[in-house]
Amino acid sequence: MASGIAVSPKCLEEFQTLKLGKKTKYIIYRINNEKTEIVVEKTSDSASYDEFIADLPETECRWAVYDFEFEKEGEGKRNKICFFMWSPDDAKIKDKMLFASSKDALRRSLVGIAVEIQGTDYSEVAHESILDKANRGH
Amino acid sequence: MVQYGGDEVAALVVDIGHSSVRAGYAGDDTPKAIIPTSYGYTYESPGNGQDVQMDDSAPPALKKKFHVGQSGPSIYRPGMEVGHPLTDGLITDFEPIQPLLDHAITKVLGCNPAEHPILVTEPAWNTPEDRERMAEIIFEQFNAPAFYIANTGVLNAFAAGKGNALVIDVGQNMASVTPVMDGFVLRKGLQYSPLAGTIHSRAHNLLLSPAQYRPQGIALFPHQLIKDKLSVEPGQQPIFSLREDRLPGVTESWRAWYEAREVDEWLQSVGGVLDSGWNDQLVQSRPPRQYEFPTGLNSMFGAERYFIGEQYFHNQQQQQVPQTARSLTALLSDSLRSYDVELRQVLVGNVVLTGGGSLLPGFADRLNTELSRTFQHVKIHAPGNPIERRYGGWLGGSILGSLGTFHQLWISKEEWQEHGKAIIAQRCK
Repeated sequence: MASGIAVSPKCLEEFQTLKLGKKTKYIIYRINNEKTEIVVEKTSDSASYDEFIADLPETECRWAVYDFEFEKEGEGKRNKICFFMWSPDDAKIKDKMLFASSKDALRRSLVGIAVEIQGTDYSEVAHESILDKANRGH
Repeated sequence: MVQYGGDEVAALVVDIGHSSVRAGYAGDDTPKAIIPTSYGYTYESPGNGQDVQMDDSAPPALKKKFHVGQSGPSIYRPGMEVGHPLTDGLITDFEPIQPLLDHAITKVLGCNPAEHPILVTEPAWNTPEDRERMAEIIFEQFNAPAFYIANTGVLNAFAAGKGNALVIDVGQNMASVTPVMDGFVLRKGLQYSPLAGTIHSRAHNLLLSPAQYRPQGIALFPHQLIKDKLSVEPGQQPIFSLREDRLPGVTESWRAWYEAREVDEWLQSVGGVLDSGWNDQLVQSRPPRQYEFPTGLNSMFGAERYFIGEQYFHNQQQQQVPQTARSLTALLSDSLRSYDVELRQVLVGNVVLTGGGSLLPGFADRLNTELSRTFQHVKIHAPGNPIERRYGGWLGGSILGSLGTFHQLWISKEEWQEHGKAIIAQRCK
């Protein structure tokens, strides 16, 4: 079941830049005010994970794609693209519902996501828990 | 023709549960019409509303008259029988559905169903026949311009803001565990049982049978049948007299209905769940609660009130009652067993607790204790607001139905007329 909200072409363009260009570090997505389309809210080159977390609002939902770089034990540096579904407990119920039911549309159009994270509080999107998830894969 | 362009589609949302039928406008935060799902019916000869007969060999000329709504089954009518359209969460008797919905929509909401798209909810284990029948009623009898049927499990997950979730729904009759992934129900792990109903009938037996400090069982007469009563000291025999004139008109099914309602009220007022598991000493140390029945009998309930709540998690009488319903712990382990470790972890990290039956004090804490025994990271989303918990499915439908972009999913009347029943399964996944 889906809400029928569309994904703007810009979302994909920015994702391709992140995936292929290796320059963009993360992208934050949101639903526009008319509630008809998913749009890019922000893209950033900042390597700081804290800055990324600070871009997730405390009481509003967002999606995000983050190019996660980590050191795999004994195997050198790795990169994994993570998809975040940010739906904090304090967000409005309508907001949560909108984001949950529209997620599939966005997620399906983004090819090459290795890790998917559903976060409801800051502990669930902390650096360690992402590292743990990323390490578990291949 | 109605256009579903903008955000204002003014859709209606209808959620049929065991205890009540909820109906209201999409976009509202509570359903405006809440009426009992139970309905009363009497037989009367056409043209003469006063003459009521209860005769088994009644000629077919007698008309079945439905009494629904707040003044439906709860009003005493001589010879009135009470029925219920659901069995195990599914609609098995479609005859009263039309009067029930008609009452909720046209009488309580006061609107014309032919002018609004209608979104109906269904349990995850609904059958294709049932949803097609529902569509037929909405289109053919209510003339609604558009229809959609959505799954309560998914709606509850969405209302909690989750695409992936383990939805635990404890209603008045059923208890179910529905795993939802990316907005779709995973059939394999879907588990349900008439647990809540079984617990209610156990509570019923408990109250009817004599106990340690209660030499006689409790007479569960409703206030409709009581003429007068005197106030008595706690634990004393009640002093009351019945309305003898009404007794002959009491049918077996009405009696079962009012007794069940008294039990339900008792359970909701005094029932509780121990948050860390059953412990005889702990139970003794909890303060008892006082409850007064319509007969004037008031008594203290100590261990009993926890004994009933405990049954949700451990079915102690499993051996004695063979076809007993599986407890919530059994449902959970049966459900999670179908998945690999990683997926299990995702599910228990996103538990959504909903349904009126889960409102017993201590329920969410106990669930947390039970799950934490096996899993590390357990997170339970249980709305503190009882309205959100009770009507979670309706609320999810209300938000979904109010979205302007949802219009592409509605099945319009034209499509129904052109494609027939096949379109339901195609569109409502």
